[in-house]
Amino acid sequence: MADKIKLFVNGVEVEVEAGKNLIDAVGAVGIEIPHLCYHPALGADGNCRMCLVGIEDGRPPLVPACKTPAQEGMKVLLDAEHIKKIQHDVMEFELINHPTDCPVCDQAGECKLQDYYMSYDHAKSRMNVPQVVKGKKMDFGAGVVHDQERCVVCGRCVRFCRQITKTGELGIINRTDDARVNIFPGRPLANRYAINVVDLCPVGAMTSKDFRFKQRVWFLKKAPGICHGCSKGCNITIDHNREKYKDDIIYRFRPRLNEQVNGYFMCDEGRLSYKKENEGRLTEARLGTKVRPIDDVLAACSKEMEQAAKIAILLSPNCSLEQMVTVQALAEKIGAALSGYSEGYIKTGDGDDYLIQDDKSANRAGLNLLGIDSSKEGFEKAVQEASLLLNFNNDLTLSYQENELTKLLKDTKIVAVAAAANQCTAMADMAIPVASFSEYAGTLINCDNILQHFAKAITKNEDLADICTIAARLGSPLQNDNERYSVLQKCISALKEFGVDQIPAEGLNLKKSEAANVTA
Amino acid sequence: MGATVKTIERKGSSLIERLYLIEIFKGMATTFGHLWRNLADNRRLYVRHYPEVQPEIPVRWRGRHRLTTHPDNTVKCVACFMCQTNCPANCIMIEAGERLDGKAEKMPVKFNIDLLECIYCGYCVEACPVDAIRMDTGIFSVTGNKKESFVLGLEELLTTPGAFSEEEYKKGGA
Repeated sequence: MADKIKLFVNGVEVEVEAGKNLIDAVGAVGIEIPHLCYHPALGADGNCRMCLVGIEDGRPPLVPACKTPAQEGMKVLLDAEHIKKIQHDVMEFELINHPTDCPVCDQAGECKLQDYYMSYDHAKSRMNVPQVVKGKKMDFGAGVVHDQERCVVCGRCVRFCRQITKTGELGIINRTDDARVNIFPGRPLANRYAINVVDLCPVGAMTSKDFRFKQRVWFLKKAPGICHGCSKGCNITIDHNREKYKDDIIYRFRPRLNEQVNGYFMCDEGRLSYKKENEGRLTEARLGTKVRPIDDVLAACSKEMEQAAKIAILLSPNCSLEQMVTVQALAEKIGAALSGYSEGYIKTGDGDDYLIQDDKSANRAGLNLLGIDSSKEGFEKAVQEASLLLNFNNDLTLSYQENELTKLLKDTKIVAVAAAANQCTAMADMAIPVASFSEYAGTLINCDNILQHFAKAITKNEDLADICTIAARLGSPLQNDNERYSVLQKCISALKEFGVDQIPAEGLNLKKSEAANVTA
Repeated sequence: MGATVKTIERKGSSLIERLYLIEIFKGMATTFGHLWRNLADNRRLYVRHYPEVQPEIPVRWRGRHRLTTHPDNTVKCVACFMCQTNCPANCIMIEAGERLDGKAEKMPVKFNIDLLECIYCGYCVEACPVDAIRMDTGIFSVTGNKKESFVLGLEELLTTPGAFSEEEYKKGGA
């Protein structure tokens, strides 16, 4: 724990963490100092002047809170008349050339200008000269649309491209009321984290082309989740909405702060991976070529399993730990060979030294920790010996060419338990639809050995069972969540002291010694 | 302020009234008096001659909705969803899209109002920042023979004309 210091805000004593600036320090105890240009990940810039506060110790009458470290005994003034006046004046200044096109602006509802106007300004514009005309709807590339008129020139986006991605595509050109953010001619945003500027932008100047006009943000329900796009396991907010007469649809993923994993940001690829949750899903159970109720297909599958001499089971490295132990228990019970072969999920050289990882599966560390074999030889041997392959959501087309796959599986009956409809489910003899990661709760271990738990975010109109339930119905001894979790607690010693609800929100860092202390 | 109490005498206790038939005939006389008089000449009838004579709809009457247009007949609505947000009956369903004619950035691709769910409160008209939705069509009676026919689409909302001139509408308090 960081040291605590005591200071006074408006004469009231508060205890805050030491070593932070005033905005963060008093913000953590629920006192808001308005600010536009300051962002904890980008540091203090001091250009917007919205965070000016008074400090009663002989300093100049106004100091920017973003540049002022919190100190013991500091007397901070937020509600004095001259502070209120400066906040009002800064807001009036910001709004001089603002087009106030909130009706067509996607930021409306989560816009700092709107919020601060209501809290600190609340006055009519006194301007009677024409507003400065600037560029609107400019395509900055990488799915970012810029509106220069809405911009407050806080420079967060510019600093993001310089400090975080170190690509520097954006710059502020010209001065005074003609200052605007722009790209260099012919050099659009070209980094894999570009859409983060949309989140960073406190106003509606940066909007996402993908999300543009899809929903008004106040309709969206927000649920925490974990991105399954790669093994980093970035924390996300899943914004979803069930429109009238329609199904619960995800409209966007946004990064959620987790200092231990992803900080404030996430990559664009992961951000846009929400589409896979909405589209291309396997929704109907299939037996041969016929669509049948899921119970019939499960019954046929159980029968097939009884008759088969040898069964191979394939697991996806995207499965949660709970799903893995349930399927593992099923494999042990029926004496099936279990494999987690998924070489195709690794795109060598695709990762970088920031968030993006080579391994595009969310829980390979969990697969290894549970001791599930994921070698190519092991899988192929198991398939060749077996007459039935149970495939739990592993997309084999990533690991094999189509002709290789047909050759390998030609004598094997295939049961595909999958969330997405693809080549694998098409060639299967039976297909069973299951929930995808936004529709179940589970636990993952990321590439840095951090264990994270996520809850169910989406409830579809016709909710699909998840892999745990399917495996349990096919005969796995682990019939409920408590049994699954107690198996996990046996395997992972760090989990022993935590209940499933008590796993820390920022994740549990499994130390190397504990990861080695595997009993499974 | 004290309530004024007025005592009403209870009728029906006198002998003539208790004889019953006399009162019946008195009532019948009134009824048939009206019947003969109206059969002979219905101009003084106390009821509205609907549908031959349509009622007079005042400007502020909240009738069926319409979407207003720019002078060149393009939709004024910018799909800000204020009406949908404000609608207490949850009967407006909008889908927004990109607008390319330069009038605004955004426009509705779909704009459905379910008249069976609408409670005609007029909150959508009040919420609209660009005066794109009005309830001034003067249409008070909506009929149909299946549920779907009560869902108005963008086309129908745009082609219904207003029943009043712009000056009259503005005078009405809009």
